[in-house]
Amino acid sequence: MGISEQYFPNEPTAPVVATTEFPGPKSQESIAALNKVFDSRASYFVADYEKSLGNYIADVDGNMYLDVYAQIASIALGYNNPALIEVAKSDLMTRAIVDRPAMGNFPSKDLEGIASEILKVAPKGQDKLWSGLSGADANELAFKAAFMWYQGKKRGYTTEFTDAENESVMKNQAPGSPELAILSFKRAFHGRLFASGSATCSKPIHKLDFPSFNWPKAEYPEYKYPLSENEAYNKEEDKRCLTIVEDIFKSWAIPIAALLVEPIQSEGGDNHGSAEFFQGLRDITLKYGAALIIDEVQTGVGATGKFWAHEHFNITPAPDFVTFSKKFQSAGYFFHDSEIVPKHTYRQFNTWCGDPARMILAGAIGSEVTKHDLAARAQEVGAYLFAKLEALQSKYPKLMKNLRGKNRATFIAWSFEEPSLRNKFLADMKTVGVNIGGCAEDSVRLRPTLVFEEKHADILAAAIEKIYSSY
Amino acid sequence: MIRTAYKSGITRASLSKRYLGNVSKLYYPEEVTGPVLVSENVPGPKTIELNKKLGEHFDNRATYFVTDYKNSLGNYISDCDGNKLLDVYAQISSIALGYNNPALIKTAQSEDMVNALVNRPALACFPSKEYGQILEEGILAAAPPGMTKVWTALSGSCANETAYKAALMYQASIKRGDNDFTAEELSSVMDNALPGTSDMVIMSFDKGFHGRLFGSLSTTRSKAIHKLDIPAFDWPKAPFPELKYPLSEFEAENRKEEERCLAEFERIIDQWPTQIAAFIVEPVQSEGGDNHASAFFFKGLREISKAKGVLMIVDEVQTGVGASGKFWAHEHWNLPTPPDMVTFSKKFQAAGFYFANPDLQPKQPFRQFNTWCGDPSKALLAKTIYQEVTHYGLVGRTAEIGDYVYGNLQSIFTKFPTQVKNLRGEKFGTFIAFEFNTANERNAFLVAARNKGLNIGGCGDQSVRMRPTLVFEREHADVFLQIVEDTLKQLYP
Ligand SMILES: Cc1ncc(COP(=O)(O)O)c(C=O)c1O
Ligand SMILES: Cc1ncc(COP(=O)(O)O)c(C=O)c1O
Repeated sequence: MGISEQYFPNEPTAPVVATTEFPGPKSQESIAALNKVFDSRASYFVADYEKSLGNYIADVDGNMYLDVYAQIASIALGYNNPALIEVAKSDLMTRAIVDRPAMGNFPSKDLEGIASEILKVAPKGQDKLWSGLSGADANELAFKAAFMWYQGKKRGYTTEFTDAENESVMKNQAPGSPELAILSFKRAFHGRLFASGSATCSKPIHKLDFPSFNWPKAEYPEYKYPLSENEAYNKEEDKRCLTIVEDIFKSWAIPIAALLVEPIQSEGGDNHGSAEFFQGLRDITLKYGAALIIDEVQTGVGATGKFWAHEHFNITPAPDFVTFSKKFQSAGYFFHDSEIVPKHTYRQFNTWCGDPARMILAGAIGSEVTKHDLAARAQEVGAYLFAKLEALQSKYPKLMKNLRGKNRATFIAWSFEEPSLRNKFLADMKTVGVNIGGCAEDSVRLRPTLVFEEKHADILAAAIEKIYSSY
Repeated sequence: MIRTAYKSGITRASLSKRYLGNVSKLYYPEEVTGPVLVSENVPGPKTIELNKKLGEHFDNRATYFVTDYKNSLGNYISDCDGNKLLDVYAQISSIALGYNNPALIKTAQSEDMVNALVNRPALACFPSKEYGQILEEGILAAAPPGMTKVWTALSGSCANETAYKAALMYQASIKRGDNDFTAEELSSVMDNALPGTSDMVIMSFDKGFHGRLFGSLSTTRSKAIHKLDIPAFDWPKAPFPELKYPLSEFEAENRKEEERCLAEFERIIDQWPTQIAAFIVEPVQSEGGDNHASAFFFKGLREISKAKGVLMIVDEVQTGVGASGKFWAHEHWNLPTPPDMVTFSKKFQAAGFYFANPDLQPKQPFRQFNTWCGDPSKALLAKTIYQEVTHYGLVGRTAEIGDYVYGNLQSIFTKFPTQVKNLRGEKFGTFIAFEFNTANERNAFLVAARNKGLNIGGCGDQSVRMRPTLVFEREHADVFLQIVEDTLKQLYP
């Protein structure tokens, strides 16, 4: 019996399409009402989560979509997963909800157990954890840790702050608030608060009108596909990009404390980098004394066939930080160097320092993924789906360019020649009962759950073909 | 010790349906009647042992004690050694209704909660059919006067930063008018360069605390240790009045001080080289030392900022949800026009900002955006908290208890005239603070009080702040006052 059947014996066997327009009339009404008090102009439809199950999301109009977008890549085990429901009903969870602690000051005696569940699935080489609340938050917490670590190395880990530092910092001036940079990449996405927004470089609309830090952007490889036919070109591309990274380290006016990179640039178009590229980044950061932060907010938790996508690359030594959120439900970063924890307390601190309720869910998700080997399962299903998509690609080469994500489980994407065509495709997929998302201007990304199986892949491939054959 | 009820003489338009019994007893019939101390010191040996283990994976060096939440109840927090302390710190001011509140437990175990936990939506794209109603019956029902809309976030820091983003987009769109983004804006922004990025600024006050992410930290001016080594924006700070206490004795001086600060506020707006999009201010600067200012000052800020086109953001992260004797502390000011945005978190469990002007939502969608855009499970808690607070009239009750505590502290402190000073928070609910001469003396007080079974926190360099729950009753106040007095007697025999 497949995992989706085990979890969801009553999962629908096919999408239900109940309306001719999307969002349907009830969704429209509901969106209009909600919009009066909560900005909901970005709504696709209004969901009925009670009726959603497994890989299917229900809306208030009675549509039941196969969901390969999964709350922007943040549902790991399907809707209303019974294992998570059990956890949600546990006493441990009730306590975490009603007595939410200020974890930095009053950690619960439950915390050690909760944290060690999460650490069981920590990336190779990482054994410590700091928790946050969202992807942007996780990244910015990692930036802060990296800056404190970088300055600590310069002045000495245990050296006290100077009077000049203590005074200037209250005016937001150097040396107390030094000019330091995070190096990220063009087309990268790391969040939308002020520092994460400064590192983000995907679309202008994400960034316009916000003050930002003067932080540099290197180039992320732009490979030719299929990879197997373009090896030499792509190797050169890696080299070109690594040279740019190193040049920036040498020339940027502000010291670079850390390099921040996604294993696969997701919002920015599902751009991949090779193991050699990532090892190259590691080598450069070591050479220049900067930290390496891997942003696994979107790639983490199994969808690429490994629990953490960067484990495909075997980066040595292990990255200094790995940030997470989304599918893990809890956010934060993993690390291993004890000097990443600043010597003085109350420097990496805030009221809640995370959310035990979400940490409990992360532990449960980690344990289910491990127990059922869902990353490996995603790899099988992904290979099955990729072959089907390759077949479609040869039939409709113009509608499916640069198919990418081979050997990256279900973390698959492709491009259209025109953004308008891509947008039409995304909208048309609703008419055949599939909820699917885009990335960059011209690409489609698949971000299904980890309980997406061959039977779902069949429905998805058939739906794509149905739309393509109508073009 | 005999306590005399403090007569405040104020008539507060308190919330209508006042429950006259003891709410704490109603919620917590099993609550202990005083601290229970079983280990010689707090933290005790089990905390030390458990904390050591936890510390291998999680930075816990700021731990007061490892807590046993299962055995905490009402106003009493239990540590893992079995000590039960009266808690007037309440998770840095973030527990509204006491530990293991039965109404919150019911909500936590409801189908709605399970649904919100296991099916967490990307709210802006796929809102649940319940979200609108949850907001309307909870967060929005509690909206401050004049506020009709909300944007939800996850913590105090991110509530403030999303408010800053709203202010920055709003001001830029006024400048831009009906024009679209220019090609130059669209390309320069990708290099974090002008004109696509912005040189507008957010102004805050000296000693203000607004969080610790990069935008919020740039407006935080409380302590160096909060800010060191972190790059910051070059944003202006205005002076915050340093009032003299007791207020009644220094009216003229204090008025002058507030006028000075208002003039300086106005001068900075006029002279700062770039546009000030908004300013942010706390009704009481909490982390920075429980610094108060009068309604006159805040009205002045509103008038000046309105005239100059600078948005006013009131940060109610710590002051909000009843503790000041009003649901929102800024309601004490009777502003002529409401603030442009009011941010919240902590006691409400849910975070975000309120506003009224629809133009604070950018014209284009996906600009005020992120994956989750809030958390329905916390919105459900906020709803229950709001409903319980109004049902039992906990705001009015907190005002009364606060007056009682304030009056009694006043008389206790007459016995320690040189050691304790600047009692603050008169007629301001339980949002009370007082001060020692040095940080060391303050810290000694906190430790000694803890060893007597009172969990209490500090703020600023040498202040002690009281941040109890909203179900802190007369009997808790009496225990509190007794321990404060005993501790002072011990420290200053
Ligand atoms: C790689 C990556 N990092 C960070 C983020 C930001 O996460 P959040 O939206 O939770 O702030 C995202 C969100 O899409 C992401 O894909
Ligand atoms: C007034 C005020 N604003 C903002 C914050 C930041 O909140 P958080 O710690 O949830 O980020 C705090 C926290 O103490 C606060 O007191």
